Amino acid sequence: MFLFLIEEAVRDLRRGGRVAASAVLLITLSLAALGAFWVLSLNLGRVVAQWRDRLRVVVYLREEPAPGTADELLAKLEAVGGIQRMRYVSKAEALQTLRRQLGGQASLVAELATNPLPPSVEVTPAPEASTPAGTRALVQRLSTLPEVEEVQGGTEWVERLAEFQRLLQRIGLAVGAVLALAAILAVTTATTLVLHARRQEMEIMRLVGASEMVIRLPLFLQGLAQGLAGAAVAVGGLYAAYRLALPALEPLLSFTLGLPRATFFSPSEVAVLLGGGALLGAFGGLLAKGGRPA
Amino acid sequence: MIQLQHVFKEYRVGPVKVTALADVSFEIDKGEFTVLAGPSGSGKTTLLRLLYRDEVPTEGEIRVAGYEVTRLRRSNIPQLRRAIGMVFQDAKLLPGRNVYENIVFVLRVLGTPRREIAPRVMQALKAVGLSARAQALPAQLSLGEQQRASLARALVKEPALLLADEPTGNLDEGIAEEILDLLREIWNRGTTILLATHRATLADQLKRRTLVLERGRLLKDKD
Repeated sequence: MFLFLIEEAVRDLRRGGRVAASAVLLITLSLAALGAFWVLSLNLGRVVAQWRDRLRVVVYLREEPAPGTADELLAKLEAVGGIQRMRYVSKAEALQTLRRQLGGQASLVAELATNPLPPSVEVTPAPEASTPAGTRALVQRLSTLPEVEEVQGGTEWVERLAEFQRLLQRIGLAVGAVLALAAILAVTTATTLVLHARRQEMEIMRLVGASEMVIRLPLFLQGLAQGLAGAAVAVGGLYAAYRLALPALEPLLSFTLGLPRATFFSPSEVAVLLGGGALLGAFGGLLAKGGRPA
Repeated sequence: MIQLQHVFKEYRVGPVKVTALADVSFEIDKGEFTVLAGPSGSGKTTLLRLLYRDEVPTEGEIRVAGYEVTRLRRSNIPQLRRAIGMVFQDAKLLPGRNVYENIVFVLRVLGTPRREIAPRVMQALKAVGLSARAQALPAQLSLGEQQRASLARALVKEPALLLADEPTGNLDEGIAEEILDLLREIWNRGTTILLATHRATLADQLKRRTLVLERGRLLKDKD
């Protein structure tokens, strides 16, 4: 019986022709849009998590402490409270780090007459001071010390990034929802046309005593197949775009956001997209009207 | 097999009430061959549609093949229809499927095991003398052959009751005679038959019990 229902669904898909194909295309577009925003948001989420974890406050000093007095200075800084760890970075070490970061262009550093970089202390806030307000207060306390030239850092830009990620998620959901609605309507239209085309079959089915389930299930399966096909094309397209963009995108992400590798969906996330597409299609198939009830 | 008690069927067309059947009562026993005769518009088709629950009576009780048709739940209608074979004036064959596939379609819809399908279809085709035309599309068949295919489709599910609504209506007399012969053969094998026709001569020719409807009323019930 199930084989028969599948055969009928395939026959209906063929009958759906261009309308069925455009329904698949709309499902592809809706899920591709949703998926693109999702994959962007996933990677941005990783950036946010990574930067939250790496949160540092950098205290730039007016002058390098005299040899043997660095520990004394660190103790003074620690006394302001809300600090988990500290590391003193001398002018020489800062220059070394810059040289490393410049890579191929490190020779530029050799042209400098003097070392322009200030000595600094990298401060990791204690967990209770890691909130935007806590970090702001810590920065303020550190700024009041006479040895301190400037204090940089805080969670505000990370929080702004997180806010941007949430905005991206919302835009993705909104665009995806509008396109999903269009996709459902397209599947419903395609299925309604099929219903008209198979009016005679349905009449015979009802007359000979087929249950409504047997009559409607091919429509459901047809919508499901359209949805699944659309989702598979969307996932395939997104993966192709990801692979194509990766060589250009990765160095940029690494340099600007410190993200070493852009990731694609995990198998379970791919399954969610495929399942979503199948559900969209099946729902569209079930919404179709046109058959006369028994 | 069939029992009707004081059955009325009225339709409303805007403010106008049209009576299709008025106080119709009769019984048909298992194994009977009954003719339902009457001119066009007398209520024959309405009556048949009430029997397979395509319509619900305005009033009255109907029993068919052990089912209380008037009280039947929507979900149980398919069970009633599985017990009934139906043949119409137009053969209602599916144009995109050949004769064999048209008949297979019924068995597949009803979930018949695969191994049973081919023998039963061949048997039904043989019973109506259409084995040689199994691969023909409906458009390639004569009207008589189309009606035979329609009969084979009704018989393949081995119904206890066969309802035939003007099955010879589109056929000339010679072909109509062949269809009637087939119906007699089917009846001889034990199937209860109710044949609706507007041809008075045909009812006389069959020499079977005849129920005569006129303007929705049962005028005569003669053996």
